[in-house]
Amino acid sequence: MRKALKIFLAALLTILWSCSEDLMDKINENVNDPTNIDSRLIITDAMTSTAFSVLGSDLAFYSSIYAEHNAGIFGQFYNAEIRASEPISSTTYNNSWVSVYNNLYNLKVIREKCAEGGSEEGNYHTLGIAQILTVVNLATLTDLMGDVPWSQALQPGGIFTPPLDNQAAIYAEITGLLDDAIANLEQESVFPSLDEQDLVYGGNTEGWTMLAYGLKARYAMRLSLRTPAYNDVITFADQSFTEPDEQAVYSYNGATTTSPFYRIFTDRNYFAASQSLLNKLEERNDPRVDIFWMPHPDGSSDDLIFAPNGTPNQGQDFYSVSAISNPTAPTYLMSYHEVEFLKAEAYARLNQIPAAETALRNAIIAAFGKENIGLTEEEADAYFEDEVLSRFNADPVSEIMNQKYIAFFEEESIEAYNDIRRLRAMGEDVIELENPKNTTQFPLRFTYGSSDVTTNQNVRGAYGDGSYVFTENVWWAGGTR
Amino acid sequence: MNIKGRKMKKILLLVVLSVFTGGYVLLGQTVVITGTVTSSVEAEGPVSGAAVVAKGTTLGTLTNADGKYSIAVPQSVTTLVFSFIGMKKVEVEISGRNVIDLVMEPDLLGLDEVVVTALGVSRERKSLGYAVQDIKEDVIERAGNSDLSAALQGKLAGIDIKQSSGMPGASSQIVIRGARSFTGNNTPLYVIDGMPIASTADIQAGAGGDFSVAGDGVTGTDIANRAVDINPNDIESINILKGQAAAALYGIRASNGVVIITTKSGRGNPMGKPIISFTHTSAFSEVSRTPDYQSTWAQGNYGAFVPNLSFSWGPKIVDLPDDPVYGGNANGHPGQYRVPQLEEAQLENPWVTPEISNGWKDFFGTGYSVSNSLSASQATETGNFSLGLSQTSQNGIAPSTGMDRWNGKASTERKLNPNFNVGFTANFSHTNIDKLPSANDAALNGAYASPRHYNLKDWPYAVPGDPYDQIYFRSLTFDNPYWAAEHNVFNEKTDRFFGTGYINYAGTLSEGMRVRLKYQIGTDLYTTHYTDIFEFGHRDLTGEIDNYGITSRTLNSLFTFNYDWNINDDLNFNLMLGNEFNHDFLKTYSESGEVFNFGGWPHIQNANTVTANESKNQYRTIGTFGSISADWRSMIFLSATGRYDIVSSMPRGNRSFFYPSASLGFVVSELGNLQSSEWLSFAKLRFSYAEVGQAGQYLENYYTKPNYSGGFWSGEPITYPIGGINSYIPNNVHYDPNLKPQNTKSYEAGTELKFFNNRLGIDYTYSRQNVVDQIFAVPLAGSTGASQLVINGGKLHTVSHEVILYLVPVSTSGFTWDINVNFSKLTNIVDELAEGVESIFLGGFVTPQVRAGIGTTYPVIYGTTYDRDADGNIIVEDIPGAFNHGMPRPGEPGVIGTVSPDFILGGSSTFSYRNWSLNAVVEWKNGGQMYSGSNGLLYLYGLAKPTEDRESTFIVDGVKPDGTPNDIVRGGPNDPDAIQDLYTNILTNIDEFYIYENSFVKLREVSLRYKTAKKLFGSAGLGITAFARNFLLWTTLPNFDPESTQGNTNMGGSFERFSMPQTSSVGFSVDLTF
Repeated sequence: MRKALKIFLAALLTILWSCSEDLMDKINENVNDPTNIDSRLIITDAMTSTAFSVLGSDLAFYSSIYAEHNAGIFGQFYNAEIRASEPISSTTYNNSWVSVYNNLYNLKVIREKCAEGGSEEGNYHTLGIAQILTVVNLATLTDLMGDVPWSQALQPGGIFTPPLDNQAAIYAEITGLLDDAIANLEQESVFPSLDEQDLVYGGNTEGWTMLAYGLKARYAMRLSLRTPAYNDVITFADQSFTEPDEQAVYSYNGATTTSPFYRIFTDRNYFAASQSLLNKLEERNDPRVDIFWMPHPDGSSDDLIFAPNGTPNQGQDFYSVSAISNPTAPTYLMSYHEVEFLKAEAYARLNQIPAAETALRNAIIAAFGKENIGLTEEEADAYFEDEVLSRFNADPVSEIMNQKYIAFFEEESIEAYNDIRRLRAMGEDVIELENPKNTTQFPLRFTYGSSDVTTNQNVRGAYGDGSYVFTENVWWAGGTR
Repeated sequence: MNIKGRKMKKILLLVVLSVFTGGYVLLGQTVVITGTVTSSVEAEGPVSGAAVVAKGTTLGTLTNADGKYSIAVPQSVTTLVFSFIGMKKVEVEISGRNVIDLVMEPDLLGLDEVVVTALGVSRERKSLGYAVQDIKEDVIERAGNSDLSAALQGKLAGIDIKQSSGMPGASSQIVIRGARSFTGNNTPLYVIDGMPIASTADIQAGAGGDFSVAGDGVTGTDIANRAVDINPNDIESINILKGQAAAALYGIRASNGVVIITTKSGRGNPMGKPIISFTHTSAFSEVSRTPDYQSTWAQGNYGAFVPNLSFSWGPKIVDLPDDPVYGGNANGHPGQYRVPQLEEAQLENPWVTPEISNGWKDFFGTGYSVSNSLSASQATETGNFSLGLSQTSQNGIAPSTGMDRWNGKASTERKLNPNFNVGFTANFSHTNIDKLPSANDAALNGAYASPRHYNLKDWPYAVPGDPYDQIYFRSLTFDNPYWAAEHNVFNEKTDRFFGTGYINYAGTLSEGMRVRLKYQIGTDLYTTHYTDIFEFGHRDLTGEIDNYGITSRTLNSLFTFNYDWNINDDLNFNLMLGNEFNHDFLKTYSESGEVFNFGGWPHIQNANTVTANESKNQYRTIGTFGSISADWRSMIFLSATGRYDIVSSMPRGNRSFFYPSASLGFVVSELGNLQSSEWLSFAKLRFSYAEVGQAGQYLENYYTKPNYSGGFWSGEPITYPIGGINSYIPNNVHYDPNLKPQNTKSYEAGTELKFFNNRLGIDYTYSRQNVVDQIFAVPLAGSTGASQLVINGGKLHTVSHEVILYLVPVSTSGFTWDINVNFSKLTNIVDELAEGVESIFLGGFVTPQVRAGIGTTYPVIYGTTYDRDADGNIIVEDIPGAFNHGMPRPGEPGVIGTVSPDFILGGSSTFSYRNWSLNAVVEWKNGGQMYSGSNGLLYLYGLAKPTEDRESTFIVDGVKPDGTPNDIVRGGPNDPDAIQDLYTNILTNIDEFYIYENSFVKLREVSLRYKTAKKLFGSAGLGITAFARNFLLWTTLPNFDPESTQGNTNMGGSFERFSMPQTSSVGFSVDLTF
């Protein structure tokens, strides 16, 4: 028995030795993933995800249905087209909702690293870029969804149910962030340039500064119903892009990265050519008719077949499809033509018609020259002289907005949808939509994501049964939330 | 292994050696006793292999083939104990004799039956204070099943066995007394010959080759679980420790019960005689159910023929020749129509006469399964050995599905001297499984839902000269199943070794006190390689390849010390102490390639975008445990255990936990006045309480490579590195640094009653498990910036009622009739979830999905409901002129189905007459619902039988928004689109429409066996069995077999969408013994 006891003690020692906390820590060490990383390696994906997941994908797809850039003819897009459940369901935009907040969290991590007291204090340029990207994500979110969690959001494990901030407050924050970003980008930094980690500007801070001014112009224009500031729009736009080469684009290489509109066609095949967009082009003898669309490659017809908005037959391979959704079609964080369109609209509203005309001409030339359109300046000029000018002279704002609407097909459909809602709120329903459902069921906004609707009572309260999307405008369009 | 590990092994070895030197008990003067043991049953003659033990010592021997024995015992020994399985134990006073012959009586009550409990401890069944249930080899092998879990269905109480499909190697799940974890593992620990082995799948179905994430269960293929490597033919017996009290000594791994498997070792063989046996089994299988389809309508939309649409809402098939575009009546091909797919195939004559096909029947053929096993074993006085080799080949009913498995096994035990014995077991297996994907990637979509006029089987599936340009009746969101079967590959290959070696010392301290020390070391090593290939041309795209795999190595060391003390004739005491060390090392890899350059070379080298990943993980558990038990007069049995576990995977400071258990067995029938009862042969009450925990996985928050798969995308639209540039983002799963182990408290009470000399027996167990501090990844609101937080965040409980009833209505010398019934009623309720969490995603789509939700049974199906009024009536739209006028409307998302059955009843009946025995096993699952995607989609596609009538008017059952009964008439000749709108635009968006009750009664097994009397020719014996499996099926689920579902996780059994179907089989087996 004594021996047994000895053995047992020896065994016990062995056990204690083989399970000390230090040794167990080592066994549980995560050798597969880093627990800390420099901001330059984080911000690259903030750009990719902002472009692909937020601006390029689901939000743009559904915007393009509501804005009638495309017609949904199958699955979820068909349901959105005929307004069956998708516009009011909280699951519809959930993937984007989650992507936006994931991005905002990544950007918050970067901003904290680069801010005073952070591990990369003084990394002003990365900080400035992170602030701009924060604005792009946050503004896209509030533009589409209204009041959203912000000031108490982004604290995983800390605050489980962040309350909503109102849109007016968020817009104030957006302006502040852009001003900070511009100031930070002007600072001297000892940190190396982002270089190739910057997939938009390759580390060129001037490009980012121009984008910041462009965004200031865009968001100043957005508030036209609440606080018209067209001179500001022009001032900001003048400090932004001066040619297409300067615009903020995220490019796809067609191999490891593919354009979202191309990818949605190959993976889902849910879109068809929109009758209502065609009508606007045909009215204007627009040469882009032959460039925008093609017969469905798997279809049996060689003619262009357009889907009637709101009443297409549900079925794939029948209707024609977009011909500009190619594997490398870029996503615009903001395009040069948008800046010119903003200027044109501001000048027109200030009744400075010649300046408006110049800006509109520049915008159309740039839109014709988009890499997946490929029309020349001469073709744009001819079109401008023959078709646009007379319409512009008759109703400057209407033609500017219609041209902007056409130019935004199809990558910039979120901005097209924002413009439509802003114009309607201002009583200028100049972009004609044809979906018969619009009389009662035009989505005035997007629903919150189900990820919050199911776990955050603040968002669930605001969501209700989702039918508010047909009745309540967002704040900048005259609503209350 | 690192240096520390090696050093540790050395120390352990030293410890073990020091135990055995000097532990030798010297024997005094001995006497030799010989004799013959025979059975009181005339036909059985001498009893071979009976144990003869000198009472109070560890000295013993076994009787040889003629029932003879010879044993040398010290003079101090006064009594010999004779025991043999199925015979009553007898104690005989030696009284100075040298020859002791004995006639043993059969033990009808099974009271002395010994069962293996936790950590290899053998206990008499009657002494247990908790429920265990065992199954012997003949019951497992009866119906020639090559899958262990299938062989157990209907034969156990308190246990839910779910098979995912009839595909060879398909995953299955055994869940004992309900779930203890929402998202984690709920399957029991498997212990084979003392070695705990892996039995679960290393990767979840739908996880896309990522071993570290939860799968949605709706993409890719099913993944086999590792129990598939076990050959049922190798098994001698299975003992199931159902409750936590029974399993408590296994510590944190045992909260889901333990399946203890003992393999054939030759131990029970007749002494000295080598036994060679050969078994052959052949089985033929067919798809168990064929859906009812409409057979009137052709492909198309709103009555028009559209030859590339998934819908069959077109014209009547007989009217196809009249079609303005494709019809031949006006085009010189009267009575025929033109098939554009045949034009695509460049056939000279694309004109065909309308005919009806059945894509389902054509696609599924006859599966064939064959298995051969050869084994040799021998028992001698100094030990025994067993060698076995077996091979199983299965061809599934679907093309390109099948399984090949090789199993090799060797085991031996040897007595070195009266105190020491040593032994080892070694098992090798090779498993090779070919599968087909289901749900979102289902090639079977076409087999399930091809238009009736479309001859999927005979019409070409690729363009001549370009085999990678598919021809199909619909858009290529799904592949043509024939093309997919030929070109796509879904394969998994596993090579595995597991085994143990041990050394055992047994000695006598003094009279009535015995000690036993055992050290065992074992390993479970395997590597699985998975290959998923979508060949160039898949979905009309460029294809993709995923190679991924895992190498897993488990080292298990177990040291136990046992002390038995027969204090006096009435009172016995046992103490056990031990230590277990378990270390797992896992290495996983994945290589993903997208965009093949060309078809025919589906290799990673042919892919233009290649990404790779690897991960290494280690887990260590160290347990120290002890148990004490005492029994008094074979009437009262008390036992208590404690185990202290330390695990590596929890945060510092929260790594160790202690779990106690206690049990009481009270044999009421030993009470004086009951002892003489004529009708009550045995009665026992059992009570137990136990706590067991489960550890979680804690990690420091980390950064990870972004992933863009999921959502609308098939494959990954963005893959890093992008042009040589990488990026890392905060992982969206965060970890609570205060994570603590979850705890299960289990209460169990039961009774075991035997009547009329064991002709009738009832065993009832009630148990309740309360699980608190459930560890799981709590879904966070997206606005928090992360998606999940691993935290202690939930509570659930299970109540189970288990009844085992057996009856021997007839028992004469030639004829016996046995009936065995197993009843289980399990209720699993989710009591609480972390604040802000209402439910947890277990699998499925954005909607519908399988969830765990508060206040409901676990799990539930969640999705879009019908909009209903307060009385539960379906509200229909009332907008004259609208397409949805008079039709249901979608309501808010909610619980649309509960998965748990009300009860499961398994029954078997055996008739034995001389050399013949006839057996049948029936299983009845009552209640419970499932999401049957295929059923719902047959409506969407316009193929379901009830859509045959498209010309009558209809009124949807429900109420109008104003509350009055719906009287809106839709359909008929003036409203021809209504019927299609109902199914393609209304009901398809209401998930509740897809929910079906899936009660069923299945004739699981019928077998007829003939076994020759001993010594048919020479020493050979022959047995022949004919069997049928899954034969008769009655179910509330239309069209499909309810045991055909998605997922190898906790969503299993509840979610179906183009899943692989189930099979019915017939076959035979022949076994020869020499």
